[in-house]
Amino acid sequence: MMKDITLGQYFPGNSLLHRIDPRMKLVLTLCFIVLVFLPQNWWGLLTVGLFLLLVIGLSRLPLRLMWRSTKPVLFLVLFTSVLNVLYVHEGVTLWKWGFIHITTGGLQSAAFIAIRIVCLILGSSLLTYTTTPTALTDAIERLLSPLKVIKVNPHELAMMMTIALRFIPTLMEETDKIMSAQKARGADMESGGLVQRVKALIPILIPLFVSSFRRAYDLAMAMECRCYQGGVGRTRMKQLRTALRDWLALLVYLAVGVGIVMLNIYFGKTLK
Amino acid sequence: MAIISVDNLTHTYGAHSPFEKHAIRGVTLDIHKGELLGIIGHTGSGKSTFIQHLNGLLRPNEGRVLLDGVDIWENPKKIRSVRFRVGMVFQYPEHQLFEDTIYKDIAFGPTNMGLSEEEIDRRVRQAAAYVGLDESLLDKSPFDLSGGEKRRAAIAGVMAMEPEVLILDEPTAGLDPRGREQILSMIQDYRRTRGTTVLLVTHSMEDVARVADRVLVMSDGRVAMLDTVEAVFSRAQELEAIGLTVPAVTKTLMLLQRAGVTVDTAAYTVEQATAQILSLLGGDGI
Repeated sequence: MMKDITLGQYFPGNSLLHRIDPRMKLVLTLCFIVLVFLPQNWWGLLTVGLFLLLVIGLSRLPLRLMWRSTKPVLFLVLFTSVLNVLYVHEGVTLWKWGFIHITTGGLQSAAFIAIRIVCLILGSSLLTYTTTPTALTDAIERLLSPLKVIKVNPHELAMMMTIALRFIPTLMEETDKIMSAQKARGADMESGGLVQRVKALIPILIPLFVSSFRRAYDLAMAMECRCYQGGVGRTRMKQLRTALRDWLALLVYLAVGVGIVMLNIYFGKTLK
Repeated sequence: MAIISVDNLTHTYGAHSPFEKHAIRGVTLDIHKGELLGIIGHTGSGKSTFIQHLNGLLRPNEGRVLLDGVDIWENPKKIRSVRFRVGMVFQYPEHQLFEDTIYKDIAFGPTNMGLSEEEIDRRVRQAAAYVGLDESLLDKSPFDLSGGEKRRAAIAGVMAMEPEVLILDEPTAGLDPRGREQILSMIQDYRRTRGTTVLLVTHSMEDVARVADRVLVMSDGRVAMLDTVEAVFSRAQELEAIGLTVPAVTKTLMLLQRAGVTVDTAAYTVEQATAQILSLLGGDGI
């Protein structure tokens, strides 16, 4: 049932990771993505991996959550690995049969890329696991505020994001209800060929569209009634404040980055 | 005779997560053939979850649901046939309308049953008649109808499957008094002509008092009471303790009793109460 899916994956907690300022967390996540792509040899990648494990440990999230975010990309990981095995021809040839040509270099680069992708996914999912969607949009609004110079209104962008996020669970619930109602009338969504399955979606999509429009009108009306007029002159109930730990965290990330660059220079490039 | 037997039904949402919620715990009861069972309980008492188990929309974590003595999950592939036998009208059923004409929408269920054209046609027209929809409306788009008409069309869509058990989840929610009245008397008429077992989920004690034979009171995912209407309403204090009230009429009589007037507080309809008060006033008081 769709009730099992939680909004934006946020997992409530009070760990160090949960408490870091959302703006800094966003920046740190961007830093981490850079970190993942820095290493050019196994030592660097090992550092990234260990660092990621440390951060996961600090987040105190259950490990099955990590598995849940990795599962959907396993296919991608497998796919790129196979491509690497087949197309990187370096080092000692292990096996050759027709167009299949497996080398030690190919295996190495496949493993390297696989680990890299998994690290990337885990690192970025930590952000959504430990930050509420509202805090996240708030952070985005603040980080984008320099865009005001080029006449882009970050408040409106953030508001749109907030509303979109806010309505995900509502629409999920709605979808669930409509699906149940149509199933109760014998709609069959689990069997049949592709065409039949697509056709089976119509009784769900049409009522869903209708209700989304109804909700949009209602919301617009409610916002107008409360004199919403964009971000002009708006103050906040929850002020974001960076603390010392936020800056220390940034320092740690930068240090790891410097470390990896040094490992790159010291051990050189093992992979092309 | 029990048409549906529920045996130790338990359902938990989001098991093993911080959002874990026990919606139903160990519900055991029998629903008699042909009865009209009112189901009450405040929001979150588990009544919606409970009824969704009766036609196999939800699968119990524990326990069984027997329809005519057979476990409905005995053959999970046949669960659709259970849904045709136990019809379910959801809250705000008008939100499920999707076809371009009312006729096609009412025909959705019967078509899924794989019936012949003539049979579908007969059922659609009959169901429309049950809910009091004029034939001229059948070719209209659902979106051209009024709120009350839409709701009746959606209910007809379930009735057209001619289920043995009809479950209605708050069919009168959000309607004006006249709309409520129409829906309730329509349900009573339908049941009288077809002899269908009806389960009516509602917030309104007045509705239950008017139409139900027995009442199931749910609280915190458990069966708090299951008895005749009189018996349930006579336990007013317990009802209030779980956040429900008795109908205004019963309450009035109870206040009269407390004030020292000898009345029978088991009365729960306006007619019964009027009769009592009139007899107290000497029969021709007003």
